[in-house]
Amino acid sequence: MIGVSLDLTLRLIEAVNATPAGSTALIDVTGAEQVTVAQRWAEATGNTILTVHPDAVEVLRGRIADPIAALPADRRPGYRLWLYTNFHCNLACDYCCVTSSPRAVPRIVSAEDTTELVRQAVAAGVQELFITGGEPFMLLDLDERLLASLPHLPTTVLTNAMVWQGERRRRLEALPREGLTFQISLDSATAELHDHHRGVGSFDKAIAGIRLAIDLGFRVRVAATLGHDAGTAEIELVDLFDSLGLDPDQRVVRRVAQQGSANEGLTVSRASLVPEVCATADGVWWHPVAAADPSMKVADSWSPLGEVIDAVRDEYRQHRIRGDVLASSFPCA
Amino acid sequence: MASNEDVLVGAVAYSANVVPIWEGIRDYFRDSAAPMDFVLYSNYERQVEALLAGHIDVAWNTNVAWVRTQRRTNGEARALASRDTDLTFKTYMISRAGSGLDDLGSLKGRRVALGSRDSGQARILPMYFLDRAGVSAADMDLVIFDSDVGKHGDTGKSDLDALRAVIEDTADVAAVGSNTWEALLAAGDDTVSDLAVTWASEDYTHCNFTALPSFDAERADPWVMHLMAMNWENPEHRRILELEGLKAWKPTNLEGYESLVQAMQAQGTADHW
Repeated sequence: MIGVSLDLTLRLIEAVNATPAGSTALIDVTGAEQVTVAQRWAEATGNTILTVHPDAVEVLRGRIADPIAALPADRRPGYRLWLYTNFHCNLACDYCCVTSSPRAVPRIVSAEDTTELVRQAVAAGVQELFITGGEPFMLLDLDERLLASLPHLPTTVLTNAMVWQGERRRRLEALPREGLTFQISLDSATAELHDHHRGVGSFDKAIAGIRLAIDLGFRVRVAATLGHDAGTAEIELVDLFDSLGLDPDQRVVRRVAQQGSANEGLTVSRASLVPEVCATADGVWWHPVAAADPSMKVADSWSPLGEVIDAVRDEYRQHRIRGDVLASSFPCA
Repeated sequence: MASNEDVLVGAVAYSANVVPIWEGIRDYFRDSAAPMDFVLYSNYERQVEALLAGHIDVAWNTNVAWVRTQRRTNGEARALASRDTDLTFKTYMISRAGSGLDDLGSLKGRRVALGSRDSGQARILPMYFLDRAGVSAADMDLVIFDSDVGKHGDTGKSDLDALRAVIEDTADVAAVGSNTWEALLAAGDDTVSDLAVTWASEDYTHCNFTALPSFDAERADPWVMHLMAMNWENPEHRRILELEGLKAWKPTNLEGYESLVQAMQAQGTADHW
């Protein structure tokens, strides 16, 4: 009786020798020990175990370039970390990707937890923090979270800039300017479209908030979310952005995603989105645009964050590699 | 865009991976001082004829194709470079562990599995080494696998067929090239604990880039220099190097062909096919 590992190795050599680079061969295996043998063999011979099935391994002929290395540095999973500090909001936008509203369960991440999250993020190599909600400034003590992050990570807060009154205004003015950006939502150059989706009177308050933040010396980015009814809004926004003195990198225009409250919009999935790791009080999500979609949840807890980011990277690699293989083996003629 | 000035390299299409290998090498040369293109042949005989006819500048030849080219050119052909793995090629005689076979002399009266008749490592050289050890073909029960004739053993198929014969007990010992044996060892020594190396040959040289004197130094030198600069540490280079089975290109060791020259002479191998 010949050893099963020898038989497996012979089958690996025969099958892979007959497989063109970039294509795969399915090799029967029995048990974890044979999977280990196949993995050792593939690593030593410049091939790749693409998938481990219960009774087979799928071997890709050759090595695969890391799909993450092909992304711009600031788009690689783990470069940015998103944090939903809360889910409640003073507005109830009809396209909100996480169905935030004044009635939403707040699901708050405390200042203490934010401090620990930032510590783990820095250790995991995160370069930039994005805080969103809900409306983050619904939290009176949001500044404590910012004071925890700003010494370590450039931080952007996504806000509607409508609640900076009273104590919130006092705390706003006291915030550091260095490393802090406010990304303020504004969906059109005039009130009609903006107010249609975000509530009557919200346009004027957003404009006032943008001007206040600029006047207070904060770095401001203005972000528009456009649906099917946007018409010429994007063109008209350009003039408004110009009048506010916003540089190109201070303008964001994105489309509505079919998530949360939005009945229509771009469909997104883990396979179709480059992940941007997103922490919430409920766990970690593939991307902030889908932080209430159960299919986009990647972990029940953000700690240990480094392991969660590694898992997201691995899954993204698998999606990309699988996609590349399928693409290269699906000629129509 | 191909140019008539490109160095034209011939290679044999022994597997589907020959295309990505040579497209990768061609791309690597694209912006060099010696851009190249390649032509694929279905067997080494056709490629040698093409080199001699001047259809290509360089032929990526097996050791057997090299010796035949040397014979046809009265020794004027030049070897430009080889893989590092070509310089330490060996033939192993592999038997079941515990078989008691421990040298070539012990193979008298045994079933000896050999590969394709034009394979240096799996047929021509093993027969030569056996004969040199006093074991003639008539002394053995030969189990022949002419699995990839024309490819000079490049596919590895006949080596694997010979090994299978040992595993399935239709042969006592198999002659295999070191590339096949090392591929088996890649998963760890314990993988091959059922097998034993009965005998290992001296090192000999395997493939090389062969050129005729008409491919002058002005064109050859920049091409060879750029070839030698392929770097294992560069992921894009490494992808190609791994597919072709080397870590670095090296100057060819011509002394390493001496055993094959003698083997082909002793066996009366024809200069032409």
